[in-house]
Amino acid sequence: MRIPAFLFLALVPLSAQDAGVTRADWPHYGGTQFSWRYSALDQVNTSNVKNLLPAWIFQTGDYTENLGSTPIVSGGVLYLISAGARVFALDAAKGTLIWQYRYPTARPGIAGSHSDFIQNRGVAVGDGKVIFGTKDNFVVALDQKTGHEVWKVSVDDPKQCGCNITGAPLIVKDKVIVGGNGGDQAHRGYLTAFYTKNGRAAWRWYVVPGPGEKGNETWKGDSWRFGGGAPWLTGSFDADLNLVYWGTGNAAADFYDADRVAPGTNKSKDVNLYTASMVALDADTGKLRWYFQEVPDDVWDFDSSYEVLLMDRQIRGQMRKILVHMNKSGLTFVFDRVTGEFLSSFNVPELSNWITGVTEDGKLVGRNEPEMGKTKNLCPSAAGAKSWNSMAYSPRTGFLYTPTNEICTDITPNDTKPTEGRFFMNGDFPMKLPPNRTTYSHVDAWDPVTGKRIWSVPYKFVLLSSMLATAGDLVFTGDPEGNFFALDARTGNKLWSFQTGAGHRGGSISYSVNGRQYIAVTTGFQQTVVGGAVLGMFPEENFRAGSTLVVFALPEGSR
Amino acid sequence: MRALLFFVIGAFASAQNLPEVLKQGENVFTKSCATGYCHGARGTTGGAPRLAARGFDQNFISDTVMRGVPTTAMPAFATTLSRADLTAVVAYVASLNGIANPTIAGSGGPSGSTAGPAAAKLSGDAARGRALFSDAVRGFGRCSTCHEIGGFGIAVATPIAKVPADAAALKALATPQVSTVTLGSESMPALMVSKKANAVIFYDLTTPPPVLRTESPASVQTRDGSTWRHASVIGAYSDAELTSILAYLRAVAKP
Repeated sequence: MRIPAFLFLALVPLSAQDAGVTRADWPHYGGTQFSWRYSALDQVNTSNVKNLLPAWIFQTGDYTENLGSTPIVSGGVLYLISAGARVFALDAAKGTLIWQYRYPTARPGIAGSHSDFIQNRGVAVGDGKVIFGTKDNFVVALDQKTGHEVWKVSVDDPKQCGCNITGAPLIVKDKVIVGGNGGDQAHRGYLTAFYTKNGRAAWRWYVVPGPGEKGNETWKGDSWRFGGGAPWLTGSFDADLNLVYWGTGNAAADFYDADRVAPGTNKSKDVNLYTASMVALDADTGKLRWYFQEVPDDVWDFDSSYEVLLMDRQIRGQMRKILVHMNKSGLTFVFDRVTGEFLSSFNVPELSNWITGVTEDGKLVGRNEPEMGKTKNLCPSAAGAKSWNSMAYSPRTGFLYTPTNEICTDITPNDTKPTEGRFFMNGDFPMKLPPNRTTYSHVDAWDPVTGKRIWSVPYKFVLLSSMLATAGDLVFTGDPEGNFFALDARTGNKLWSFQTGAGHRGGSISYSVNGRQYIAVTTGFQQTVVGGAVLGMFPEENFRAGSTLVVFALPEGSR
Repeated sequence: MRALLFFVIGAFASAQNLPEVLKQGENVFTKSCATGYCHGARGTTGGAPRLAARGFDQNFISDTVMRGVPTTAMPAFATTLSRADLTAVVAYVASLNGIANPTIAGSGGPSGSTAGPAAAKLSGDAARGRALFSDAVRGFGRCSTCHEIGGFGIAVATPIAKVPADAAALKALATPQVSTVTLGSESMPALMVSKKANAVIFYDLTTPPPVLRTESPASVQTRDGSTWRHASVIGAYSDAELTSILAYLRAVAKP
């Protein structure tokens, strides 16, 4: 049988290079579902970036906890969600409003729990719908063309779980997968998949296995019921392997383990599964295919919830399908994403005293744990060597671009018993600036294969905004003072900076319409949780609130 | 508004001495306010503003605790804490601000959430039923996936008007309100919410949890009756458990 050439081409699997880069569209939270936050557009490059100017701006009018989301662009339309779940479809070239949707006032959760944190990190767009999670644990699908509600389904009761959905959903084939927060509380985390067509539940995977399931034996007594592990951010997907990759949250209670870990437990491997782990799930069934627990018996609030970067790289002379993942501690793991085999690790922060090292097979050495009756200064802090803002990866340089904070914490544990849906951290953990430093963060370039830092640019406060890498060999991010800036991807030299008027806590993207490249960034500094803790550490500063999307391009005629 | 709040708080006479109230307030504070992402231990440090030694007066503290701070993560606690807990936590934060003798009128009540019937009033079986009703371990198979009682659960079904006599009756429950919606070639059990000129809104009951769907009237056909049975969605519970749940429903049923 003769196969027409164009059909044959369509059947050839995309290489990782193609699967990882964005072009005119920015279709997913992490750019593509390989989560590189890398655009193949190069109209804006190292030689002309100095000419970048705002093309349009858009104010959401929702100043509730500012703007921490990453926009999506599809077919010349930009989709943006605010913290209070107002959703906008905008003409991506002009910024004019196509439609807007306002989620009704969310049902209150448990006061003083995660369910009252107001954040939304993004929508997912697919199957003709714009899909997002809400503060009161609904997943809502809007018609992509009109913004009208198509379906809406409750994932959990915020009054009971004290949890909510702040991460962007991940659309995988005919389903949308959502996580949720609540892992710092008496709660048991899960991922749930719904059919995009009609909102019906397809599968749920509990991070903490129930009785009779493998892994439940790694929990003392019935501590699994409130074991935390909530996967609160967004995973990745490899279509060739049909695997969904997701990082899970910390074990609860965060800083005290005597009620969840049996005395005498060997802590080198598999304690309180599958918290603080990288997991690979079958995309169709949600069944666990492989896992690697990065932090067995986590007692530092070191989630593994962050973004999951999938790439193909030469390792010891062999092309491997790998997965690169930074734990909240800044310890960064490289796995074979087919099998889950641990390949290597490297530690990104400069200050790190929670362990002394990692063995060649990925086991933590020299655990420095919080102790009852004592206050210990530990680094990094529960705010993370990196917060939930994503790193980026450029296939041109082969480097990861990471925003790293050097913040420590004084941990004083306690043994408070859990109440369902209430905070269950069992510790006080004020953030502390480490002594003898004048800068508390840095943007770095790392080679994930050699584990070597290539360059590092210090910054005096902290960095809480996602990175964007482009084929113009540029790396973009924003700072709390309001500067949005571009670095040379090969050297780290600062090439351009623009004062956007408010601090940065969201993500930047690149896309094109009619051949013109745009770079869009969400602005407005988070005033509570990690952003609030940062404000407390720099009381003289005013990291300004806001809720504005600023979109840059080269001036018409100058390209 | 402020006067009204104080009237509400002041309506309950003090039955405790100050150290006990402050202790209760500290307990409430530890559970609901002191996480490191919020105000930290003793309100000294955390992700939210410091509360200790700020020179706050008690009225300000009370107002803020009751109403919250709009557009921030600081919630209104007026409806989520008991009156006694509110009084106690306000007194405790006042004490952190150097107020040696905070007003404690209204203290002395039980600690705990005001949402839902107080578990203490329920019999052993009913209390067990209350926990089973919204048991997280049952996932979407729990009652609260579709029923709301006392602020807990998702109000998909209308309030439970008549409590079935036993587990068998609960399984055989007649559900005339469930109809059949046909969309294209697919029929599904549905609970109609509204039919308007431009939209038909209904819960699709095909599989728990129910999905609130909005469809254009032209694409939807509805007819009374359905093959859906209540027995098909309560399989996560044994008969003994259903009996406890019924005891709970009877205990909280409106006369």
